[in-house]
Amino acid sequence: MSWHWESTVIAMVAFGVLYWLLSKYAFGPLFDVMEKRRQLVLEQMNTAESSRKAAEQQMEDQKAALQQARKEAYEIIEQARTTSSKQADDIVQTAKTEASRLKDDALKDIESEKNKAIAALRSEVGGISVKIASKIIEKQVDEKSQEQLVDQYLKEVGSK
Amino acid sequence: MHEFPVLPLGPLNIELSTLIAITVSVIVTFLIAKLAVRNLSVENPSKMQNFLEWVVDFVHGLISSAMPLNRVKPFLSLGMTLIMFIFISNLLGLPFGIVTETHHAYESIGITEEMLEEKGGHLEIAWWKSPTADISVTAGLALIVFVIVHFLGLKQNTKHYLKHYFQPYPVFLPINLIETISKPVTLALRLFANIYAGEVLIATILMLGWIGTPFLIAWQGFSIFVGAIQAFLFTMLTMVYISQAAVHDEDHH
Repeated sequence: MSWHWESTVIAMVAFGVLYWLLSKYAFGPLFDVMEKRRQLVLEQMNTAESSRKAAEQQMEDQKAALQQARKEAYEIIEQARTTSSKQADDIVQTAKTEASRLKDDALKDIESEKNKAIAALRSEVGGISVKIASKIIEKQVDEKSQEQLVDQYLKEVGSK
Repeated sequence: MHEFPVLPLGPLNIELSTLIAITVSVIVTFLIAKLAVRNLSVENPSKMQNFLEWVVDFVHGLISSAMPLNRVKPFLSLGMTLIMFIFISNLLGLPFGIVTETHHAYESIGITEEMLEEKGGHLEIAWWKSPTADISVTAGLALIVFVIVHFLGLKQNTKHYLKHYFQPYPVFLPINLIETISKPVTLALRLFANIYAGEVLIATILMLGWIGTPFLIAWQGFSIFVGAIQAFLFTMLTMVYISQAAVHDEDHH
């Protein structure tokens, strides 16, 4: 093993050339790509973060909307309940009034029918009595006593 | 031991095995890196790209353990080149060797009659080795680091860089100078000695013949580990030296 300064120079030149070649053709592009990937990852992480936030926001919105819908549904049910009970009361009230009206009408009808019947009966009975009386006393009673008899009879019937 | 062929080119004496090894190492390193970035993709990286990205992350972690995180970026390419080149260089001499025998003198590659006579007319010439198993090469790498460290120190951190030679008292200047010199020297020697020792031991085990096969396998496995450790250490120390010289920690002093 001997010292050759030429080898030293060759080594230095070769290393210099290698450094230049590698920097230009290998490491330069490689570092660029690695930097690009770093940027890409950073970007994707940012995107993920923002979309996570958006999703959270949406979730909140939906929760609020759900709450709102629930509240509205409750209100509607409440309203329906009050309306229906009021309606039921109305119906019952109407039915009651109707029923009492019908009853009153019926009572009036009965009264008037009764009166009519009484009147009819009275005239009928009058006629029949007259006929009966005239048959019985046709020959014995004169005009005057016959009238007297009829009146008396009518009085009796009218007082009944 | 083997002789290494030396090509005299005018006033220069170029050691051929080192030249071949450095060239191959540079080409392999570049090819691996180029293959890894062949189909670069942001979303769907290939296996090779994943591997190289893992190396980048590893080196990034290594550098950031030596200096503040915001200063790491400019040195990432340097660290990557260092660790890949040294690791591949360390492995280069492990799997095989190319040795030719000669009984004649070849003056053109530095094989002289005297060398031939010295070995009894039979000479083995090695054409293949790890480039880092050559002290001249590791010295070159250490020299690059040395220049980078002190250039960056002077340029980016002038006041504190110059002041540190006189810390804690001006009397310590010689000690600080020795420290400054010893850093690249140890850097070069450590790498060279580890890899060279590994190759020497491989050559020694090969002399055992067939019996040495299990030892050879074990040692080659260990040499891969050593090669990785040394590449890691060289890069790590480079970054530590750069950090010491060029990065001034505001709340440190």
